[in-house]
Amino acid sequence: MAKGKKVTVIGTGNFGSTVAFILAMNGTCHNVILRGRNYDVTKGKALDMSQAANAARQHTIVKAAKGPEDMAESDVVVITAGAPRTPGMSRDDLLTMNAGIVKMYAKEIKEYAPDSVVIVVSNPLDVMTYVALKYTEFPRERVLGMAGILDAARMAHFIYEKLEYGAGQIRATVMGGHGDTMVPLPKFTTVAGVPIEDLLDSEEIGEIVQKTRNGGAEIVNLLGNGSAYYAPAKSTTVMVDAILKDTNQIHSCAIMLKDDYGYSDIVSGVPVMIGAGGAEEVINMTLKNLQVKKFKNSVASVQEMVDKLHELKFFDDLV
Amino acid sequence: MTNRRVGIIGAGAVGATAAYTLAMKGICKEIILFDIAEGVAQGKAIDIAQATQYAPQPTILTAANSPADIKDCDIVIITAGVPRKGDMTREDLLMINAKIIKSVTQDVMKYSPNAIIVSVSNPLDVMTYAIQKITAWERNRIIGLAGALDGARMAYQIYKKLGYGAGQTGTLVIGDHGQNMVPLPQKVQVGDVPTTDLLDDEEFEGIIERTRNGGAEIVKYLGTSGYYGPGSAIAHMVEAILNDSKAVVSCSVGLNGEYGYQDVTVGVPVVLGKNGIEEIVQMTLNTKTKEKFKKSVDSIQEGIAILEKNGFFE
Repeated sequence: MAKGKKVTVIGTGNFGSTVAFILAMNGTCHNVILRGRNYDVTKGKALDMSQAANAARQHTIVKAAKGPEDMAESDVVVITAGAPRTPGMSRDDLLTMNAGIVKMYAKEIKEYAPDSVVIVVSNPLDVMTYVALKYTEFPRERVLGMAGILDAARMAHFIYEKLEYGAGQIRATVMGGHGDTMVPLPKFTTVAGVPIEDLLDSEEIGEIVQKTRNGGAEIVNLLGNGSAYYAPAKSTTVMVDAILKDTNQIHSCAIMLKDDYGYSDIVSGVPVMIGAGGAEEVINMTLKNLQVKKFKNSVASVQEMVDKLHELKFFDDLV
Repeated sequence: MTNRRVGIIGAGAVGATAAYTLAMKGICKEIILFDIAEGVAQGKAIDIAQATQYAPQPTILTAANSPADIKDCDIVIITAGVPRKGDMTREDLLMINAKIIKSVTQDVMKYSPNAIIVSVSNPLDVMTYAIQKITAWERNRIIGLAGALDGARMAYQIYKKLGYGAGQTGTLVIGDHGQNMVPLPQKVQVGDVPTTDLLDDEEFEGIIERTRNGGAEIVKYLGTSGYYGPGSAIAHMVEAILNDSKAVVSCSVGLNGEYGYQDVTVGVPVVLGKNGIEEIVQMTLNTKTKEKFKKSVDSIQEGIAILEKNGFFE
């Protein structure tokens, strides 16, 4: 018999808490370990969630971690830690602050949960995924960034707003970095198989693409104090569920490229097939010229940030 | 639609599996089963009612002793008719089932005059047409199960070819629910990825062929039609209507100029909601697909012509 599944969520802000809560409500794992900076607050949240699981007649138990050793035997570790983006702050501003935090946790995961699949959601997403990969020294299929699922969900929502039908059936595709240079692909977007171009004109589609790019910033501006977390948390649990249930389904995620789409040693968002071992396959789609160009821009913007970290001698402690 | 009351006429394997699926999903408040064979609806209603103990929501299951008990339903599912046997074509069923459908439809008009009818009996498109003519209701209230099932069969074939992507593959099939159906595997996606990046032309042809034979393949093994796929597909449609979810599902529907056709019932993508068919989705078809679709429409019109020849509508 297989043992019950275990997921560690690092960070107990809105994002991490919502991820843990969804997991407890879904019952896809038996144990959720929450790691926060303040043990009492973390324990309070864990108790609240465990009690909610009982109300939902689920078996999931949420516990607060006392230290990194409580991550042991996790199947999945989600890193949500990092400073949130506040109004006026670009994703890039977060770079150095969050890279240090992710580095610290990656080293701990390497030591205490060496067989886990790591999902990174800290921003700037693609660079943080790169940092986590370098410092866990895991194979690339076990370090993934959550990006495309969220961006595609946002695009699907904006399409639904225009159409007023098809909610939940819109398959939108967003590639590239999880930033201002993301690459929404309306040509690959369908509503229950019906191409979006049969339903909306090019002006409407252009508007949707623009709204998708600004999707995160729009919510940041409205909230005034922090960023979105419901859709991001749900998108993260889609990945967690796919790993725990070994679904072999395709989702767009940030992953280290290795001769994929013509790039290597850089993280960007591409469709991957997710199973128990993480991203078991990278799917190489045929892109049109314009898409190739946009993807190139997107990769370049991630590369710039990685280069900046190199300049700051961030990676100098790597063996 | 506050009653969420669903009548199922014909408690054979398809009707009962639809009832079971609906009950396990907790979609409706009440399900009423009717069958011409004595005791069948009663026995199955009790069995399903007992299974609801472990469902997320309660559902009341009852058996109708006569068609008059299928009363004031929001949706009536018509599965009545004789099943297709191994060597029987869908056309063989035509006249036998048309007569059954006529009497059942007249009961629905009398006892559930405001219902939306989901038609499941074969040959599907012709029976859906017959129901439309008999009731003379607005076309949005007569919906034939076709693409929801054929699309699921197509998605299964795509999964079998790829070995991944189960449950996240598009289901677009148009045309008749028979040998001339038009599966469109090239149009759909697996997760985020267009199938055209995953499969070649030869593989698409194989998928189209196996989708068309999807029903017959099961008949070959079972000696009778499949019912898990149909039951789930019916539940999917009922859920979209009762929840007013505005889901896009391919269904057999009366065309009134859409796709260039009139006075025929055929499968196209529609938006399902509280009024039944809320909208017919108009896709651009390429020349090759248009030809296939025409062949499909022609085959349905042949079936309708057989009904007319036999004085069915007089």
